[in-house]
Amino acid sequence: MNKKKIYSSWFLAPSMIVFSVFFLLPMVLSLFFSMTVWNFNGFEFCGFDNFIMFFKEDSLRIGIRNSLLYAVLTCVLKLVLAFFIALFLTSKIKTKTIQRSIVFFPNLVSTVAVGITFSALMHPSKGLLNKCLEFIGLNGVDWLGNTKIALFSVIATDVWKGLSIATIIFIAGIQSIDKTYYEAAMMDGANFWQRLKAITIPLSRSSMNSIILLSFIGGLRSFDLIWSMTGGGPGFATDVMASIIYKQYAAGYYGLSTAGNVIMFVIIAVIAFPLQRFLLSKEVD
Amino acid sequence: MKKKKSIKYIIGDIVGLMTCFFVFIVPFIFMLVNALKDRREANRLSLALPEMPQWQNFVEVFKTGDYQILTAFKNSIILTAFSVLGLVVFSAMAGYVIQRRKDRTTKIVNTLVMAGLMIPAAILPTIWVMQTVHLYKTMPGMILVEIALQTPFTIMLYRGFMSTIPIELEEAAYIDGCTPFSVFRKIIFPLLKPVTATVVILDAVTIFNDFTNPLYFFPGKENLTVQVTLYNFMGQFSSSYNMLFADVLIITVPMLVIFLIFNQKIVDGMVAGSVKG
Amino acid sequence: MKRKAVSALLCMSMVVGMLAGCGSTDAGSAGSTASADTPYSGQKVSIMWVSNSSMDGINAVVDAAEKELGIEVDVEQVPGGEDGDNVVKTRLASGDMTDLLSYNCGSLLASLNPSEYFADITSDYADKLDENFVEAAGVDGTLYGIPASASQAGAVLYNLDMYEKYNLEIPKTWDEFLANCDVLREAGETAVLGTDGDSWTSQVPYLGDQYNVQAADANFAEDFEAGKTKYATSEAGLESFQKIEDLIPYMNEDHMATTYDDGCDIMMEDGAAHWIILTSALSNMYELYEDDVNKLGCFAVPGRDAENCGLTVWEPNAIYMNKDTDNSDAVKAFMDFYVSDAGLDAFTGAELPNGPYCIKGYELPEECYTAVKQMQADYFDTGLNSVALEFQTAVKGSNCAAICQELASGQTTAAEAAAKYDEDCKKQAVQLGLNW
Repeated sequence: MNKKKIYSSWFLAPSMIVFSVFFLLPMVLSLFFSMTVWNFNGFEFCGFDNFIMFFKEDSLRIGIRNSLLYAVLTCVLKLVLAFFIALFLTSKIKTKTIQRSIVFFPNLVSTVAVGITFSALMHPSKGLLNKCLEFIGLNGVDWLGNTKIALFSVIATDVWKGLSIATIIFIAGIQSIDKTYYEAAMMDGANFWQRLKAITIPLSRSSMNSIILLSFIGGLRSFDLIWSMTGGGPGFATDVMASIIYKQYAAGYYGLSTAGNVIMFVIIAVIAFPLQRFLLSKEVD
Repeated sequence: MKKKKSIKYIIGDIVGLMTCFFVFIVPFIFMLVNALKDRREANRLSLALPEMPQWQNFVEVFKTGDYQILTAFKNSIILTAFSVLGLVVFSAMAGYVIQRRKDRTTKIVNTLVMAGLMIPAAILPTIWVMQTVHLYKTMPGMILVEIALQTPFTIMLYRGFMSTIPIELEEAAYIDGCTPFSVFRKIIFPLLKPVTATVVILDAVTIFNDFTNPLYFFPGKENLTVQVTLYNFMGQFSSSYNMLFADVLIITVPMLVIFLIFNQKIVDGMVAGSVKG
Repeated sequence: MKRKAVSALLCMSMVVGMLAGCGSTDAGSAGSTASADTPYSGQKVSIMWVSNSSMDGINAVVDAAEKELGIEVDVEQVPGGEDGDNVVKTRLASGDMTDLLSYNCGSLLASLNPSEYFADITSDYADKLDENFVEAAGVDGTLYGIPASASQAGAVLYNLDMYEKYNLEIPKTWDEFLANCDVLREAGETAVLGTDGDSWTSQVPYLGDQYNVQAADANFAEDFEAGKTKYATSEAGLESFQKIEDLIPYMNEDHMATTYDDGCDIMMEDGAAHWIILTSALSNMYELYEDDVNKLGCFAVPGRDAENCGLTVWEPNAIYMNKDTDNSDAVKAFMDFYVSDAGLDAFTGAELPNGPYCIKGYELPEECYTAVKQMQADYFDTGLNSVALEFQTAVKGSNCAAICQELASGQTTAAEAAAKYDEDCKKQAVQLGLNW
């Protein structure tokens, strides 16, 4: 059979037309503006000056470091936590349907609301979190005000909100594993950890890869939650690449911020494409 | 032996529910409690119960700005419904072909889709494009932009799920002389139902909760969406957290309904719904 | 092949459009209550209101205008801060601005390139308005905006009762101020309230010190714009940043997490003696605590010279007229009304001022806040005031708030912060085409 005829390019047309017109075309246009000084009077071509200027940005180094830290930590935490939650929620406990729903709740609420709620819960003197710590005799922490901790507090909130998607992907992956494998392993006397290592982890690899890629790319791009919880502060302590670009746009440095977007894309692509290839090669094994 | 096991699971139930309660429910209780306070009390953002529950806060949210939240609901629901509809149809088709056919075209499409996950939308150029095709500040324009933005993620889900559908089914149909489109419509799409449920809920939540894009691409008083109503109650210079949380809870209801409807199917949908290159 | 796909797409968008259109016909028919004999009945004017503060004032004027003139005014609210800046710039650049825009004046106005977008209203209003405002709401001698509200100040709000209890005098110099703080701290009070959870509040002690900078160096603003003076190298300029550092030991311990909203509560509950903040906080506290707000007084951020102790004033947002409006008569009429006594009375009736009006001959109402009365008597009647730097020069670094917040958190020293701010301003200077 002719594959090209059966799986006709027509099927690709609708989504690709919309995607190209409303996403790719603007993207290409903006490439041009990354090489201009654009200040409402019009624009002036300036070559790669914006890129050079962007790299001179003081907070950029902090931004890239924070973005990487954010991506790696949210990704790892979501992966590990979601895996065990999924394992728990696919076991024979009775209330798993309810618990699965509850885990998904945070995803229903908008990021702004989550940001405000957690800022309040993390307030050093009035927040619930520190009240609990005091109750068990520990000292409170200035979750968002301490520059060394603030980023980790936001990361924890991100994990809280985003855990559900990872969990659901894992639940699905684990459920699709053929039960006979486990039965055979039990017969051989394999214990829980052995079964985990020999069956569950390798066979849910494709779910794992989805989670790694989605949350890693999402983490590198992330912005909303940081913006609503700390605005990049205190000072510049929680600035990430996207928040630096956003602030430049707000200040009217349009060309500069577009150059920043291009740089951010390159950084993400340089990491994500090889990562994808690596993960897929593992999957085939 | 058996009894011991069931005790273990009951303990699991209890521990699990407790953890769920403290980790996931308490923040919602916090929102509800503060939604029921008067402004002064709520601005302290404590978890204490309200002195007097102010149920009228919820009514007030509706009355704010001449019942503008109703316009907002109408806009957001139209926007979400049509965007999700478009996404499901378009991306299912695309995911189907990308997974089944491996050649240069699909490779390029694949790379574009991955790139789409990595780049934020370019705001001003997008507005120019919308103006050129006379869709700026219109609902169809906004819908098309949302579709464009969610296409990569959605195609990824469909493509991953396609690999679990045995190819023999289609082959048989082609031999019977069906056209490609009718094969897709009658055989493939129904089999995609579980992943479609996943797509519906994840895309609906994203689009319904989208704040920034409507702010730029769909401005104007009549074009309000629900997330923008939050700004009535929060601000740099004065906030009313009671109304804000009441508003948050009100605008979460449609998503909760969608979730409850599709929740059962979501897990089945995720089966092997993985990112495959 | 392509054409077919495009037409399919257009079909779908049309269907969507029709469906979307069905629901929205009920809009706009509700508000036509004005009688037919009003001069502009049925005419519509749109205004974009960029601010997070109370909408009571503008709504009152809109209602009054509808009654008097018959103009229907559509107010589109847009959040302030960086989000608002983005929206305004995007809307202007895409050629889709409302008839009127209420937005900051001063450096933020200059960054919009106003001559491109806004109508020149110099001949209509300039001589009715306060000179400082005219300078701030214009560029190169051309006026673009009318005041959207009353002015305000960046000053010290202080607890009158505590001052009485501890027998304190209003300080005339920074050293006296710190001495007062010592007394309060030893008595166990929070001497200075820090609300650095909201970074914009962190910059008020620095910005509000502008009068003192100018007292020491009269040409500071011009020299700064020309790139001849820098904060890091100017003694008076550096002192402004030093003040933020000086305050840290007197602040509440959780000042990095305390927000502006928290601050309003704390001041009203006698939780702190001083708060260096914009006086618009008074309105916010009034909304929450009503007349309790009158337990606060106000004095200027003190400097070195006890003889020359003056207030740094913030010009209000201004309302600008879209150059390309197709309804200029009604828009003009609304602007006229806005600055008329009737319009101002309507505004004041709904929202008390946080400082003097920028309109000549319109006095503060009797019932205004104690702190505002004090401001009027001590600094306006005596002429001891000047406007903040951002209303004198277009150069204001976009990261000012974050730099001050960083300083307040103890991550940097005053000298480092000043140098950082100079560097930040350089970016803006490049954008403005200045030769730094």
